[in-house]
Amino acid sequence: MITETVARPAKRVTGGSFLIEDLLPEEIFTLEDLSLEQKQIAEMTAEFADEKILPHVQEIEAKNFDVSRKLMRDLGQLGLLGVDVPEEYGGLDMDKVTSALVAQNLSVMGSFSVTFSAHVTIGTLPLVWYGTPQQKEKYLPRLASGEWIAAYALSEASAGSDAMNIRARATLTPDGKHYLLNGEKMWISNAGIASLFTVFVKIDGEKFSAFLVEAGTPGLTVGAEEHKLGIRGSSTCPLILTDCKVPVENLLGEAGKGHHIAFNILNVGRYKLAASAIGGARNSLRDGIRYARERVAFGKPITAFGLVQEKIAESAAGIYATEAALYRVVGAIDVALSELDKKSPTFTQEVQKRIEEFAVECSILKFFGSEMVERVVDHTLQIHGGYGYVEEYPVERSYRDSRINKIFEGTNEINRLITTGWMIKRALQGTLPLLPAIQKVMDEVMAGPAARVSYQGPLAEERALLASAKKITLFCSGAASQKFGNDLGEQQEVMGALADMLSEVLVLESTILRTEKTANSIAVKLAKYYAARSFRIVESAAERVLGAVAEGDMLRTQMTIFRRLAKHEPVNTVALGREISAAMVEAGRYRL
Amino acid sequence: MRMLTVIRQVLDAEESVVIQDGAVSLQGRKLVMDTMDEYGVEEALRLREAGTEAEVVALAIGPARSEEAVRAALAMGADRGILVETDGFLDVIAVSSVVAQVARTEQIDLIFCGGQQADWDSHALGAAIAERLDWAQATWTNALTLKGKELIGKHDVDAGSETFTLSLPAVVTTQQGLNEPRYPTLPNIMKSKKKELRRVPLEGFGVSAKLKVVGVEVQVKERRKKILDGKNAGTAAAQLVDLLRHDARVIE
Repeated sequence: MITETVARPAKRVTGGSFLIEDLLPEEIFTLEDLSLEQKQIAEMTAEFADEKILPHVQEIEAKNFDVSRKLMRDLGQLGLLGVDVPEEYGGLDMDKVTSALVAQNLSVMGSFSVTFSAHVTIGTLPLVWYGTPQQKEKYLPRLASGEWIAAYALSEASAGSDAMNIRARATLTPDGKHYLLNGEKMWISNAGIASLFTVFVKIDGEKFSAFLVEAGTPGLTVGAEEHKLGIRGSSTCPLILTDCKVPVENLLGEAGKGHHIAFNILNVGRYKLAASAIGGARNSLRDGIRYARERVAFGKPITAFGLVQEKIAESAAGIYATEAALYRVVGAIDVALSELDKKSPTFTQEVQKRIEEFAVECSILKFFGSEMVERVVDHTLQIHGGYGYVEEYPVERSYRDSRINKIFEGTNEINRLITTGWMIKRALQGTLPLLPAIQKVMDEVMAGPAARVSYQGPLAEERALLASAKKITLFCSGAASQKFGNDLGEQQEVMGALADMLSEVLVLESTILRTEKTANSIAVKLAKYYAARSFRIVESAAERVLGAVAEGDMLRTQMTIFRRLAKHEPVNTVALGREISAAMVEAGRYRL
Repeated sequence: MRMLTVIRQVLDAEESVVIQDGAVSLQGRKLVMDTMDEYGVEEALRLREAGTEAEVVALAIGPARSEEAVRAALAMGADRGILVETDGFLDVIAVSSVVAQVARTEQIDLIFCGGQQADWDSHALGAAIAERLDWAQATWTNALTLKGKELIGKHDVDAGSETFTLSLPAVVTTQQGLNEPRYPTLPNIMKSKKKELRRVPLEGFGVSAKLKVVGVEVQVKERRKKILDGKNAGTAAAQLVDLLRHDARVIE
């Protein structure tokens, strides 16, 4: 089933290659390439979300968990909890694009979206990838049907981003039949409603390992619900393990290799978070447009005002760009996975390896998507004025709910460090020819001004911006590694600025390619609008990097080179923004 | 036995209606199966699930894009689909002739169609089909059971409902409340891909529209924007009642 749903497979690419390789529009996957079945699944999911989740917002937010449990079982019956589960264990084993579509379209309220995502991704995937046939048979059908809800317990009070520092430990009982787990876990999503926990501990305080722990196991206590800023309708509790007696057969994967589970799962969690962010942003923009169409000020609906239109346009362009990047990356992951033989005994390891190849894209999607949805809910709230600040309208909740996205699945800071660090590592290993690419740009800029390449088509200026953004990123990477050498990893602010540049290159390129493939007039406007923002971010990040790596004459030379590379005339984003806003207002929502 | 559900593709209720070149613009708009027809598909599936051995055939008459509506019916659980393709406009009388011809060649026992249509509210299709086939018809049904060839149902009348029985073959028109249409499950969506969907050109049916649409317009709702001074609640309430009675005429 897996490969057939991809209508037009994209080109097989390697992770991180976006910085140095140029692709053709037909070589990437876009939302416009969905098969009829994928469209039907997306539409069914969106309808379910509108008709079955949204009417229950108040009960869910009041932590009436029976409602969430019932919704999860309904999702199980529809097959929506089994998208990533093998067929022999009650799932559908479909492609990753479909899985992202489901996450996106279900995401109409933060709390339930977190319940769902924690279950299907970090809750279920460890078992899919590392479970023994016996473990899978015992637990997966119940998770795929929604009869049981799953949770993933990694973080501790003093080990969050530095997950390897967990203190929870396990010791084998003298009879060799059980492990005794001791320690405390914090911020565990779904803890209060879960029947199965994947708990990370160190065996004998050393070997990082994962255990499958059933709710009700003696010695396992679920603590009180946290009082959170947002996603209040999702369950988040600490777990207390006191001589929690787990049978040896519930060790998941190999002892001492639990960190592979912990980290490989997060790659999927990260791109899926971007999918949920897109869903949340689309829903919030719809709220904003609905309000703006009704609200009259100075005798006109406020959609007539430029600064309101600007917010709508910025939101729409951010959504469009994130969609372009997400489906390009997930489409590429599907292509990489489609080559694998499902019957091979090393299949699940191969799957993880192939996904891990895209770790840099997954990290970019995570921080980029979470910051995009945060801007959108902020715009929606601002469009509501004072009404946005009271509980009467949904945006008050969306605004609080979106904040968690910058924290969980690896903070945005950690993901920025991973992004730049991963690229450096690949460059030094020689697995990604970044060093020659940097050298080429250095040679080119040292040779002095060169004739500018001219591009064709409606996005010619944006293609030129993208080419400049790639060169500026390579130039700044070169300048930063020259200055700091092996110490670059310690310069977090510089690493962060480079991550901003890398993310903009990935997103801008995806946006341009998607648009050229689509040939839709609103899409062209959105791409132009997004490109202007994207390049401003690249420019400001470049200045941060250069200011930190050089001074005096050296800095002046580098800034001359930078300005030459960055030279361009701005497009009229005011006019574009008005046109984009008019189209979205007319549609009443984000629509191409 | 064999059931036929007539389905049509219409603009999604959430879409804004825009007139372009004298017709409702469908460019870039979301199109869906008419909800009224969804009740029909759902009811056919339920009768089958209640124990009647039946094949459920979904029929659409319209442009090539209507295939998506037929596919939606297949994803819900219909066994196969037929799309009679035409880009031109057909009135209800012409459509009823096509449906009747398909019903004869396919040896259909029970036909479902929407009591109304979202975009052409003639209420006539079911009756016209029944007349052409000389079959019994039950309109505006809101409950149905099938015992062999006997159909037992209920339909609304002005201030209550009445129960009826009839023998197949028959035409049944649906209404809101007949059932709650299911969401297609993922396994059914994947299975539907392999189901038969036959495309037939309209030409062979020998029909043409006798009615021609010459123009459409969209009614624009204007708000009165009246604000009552609420300082004196009693006066304001009296004013409101007066407005509701004489201005809006929603109370007597």
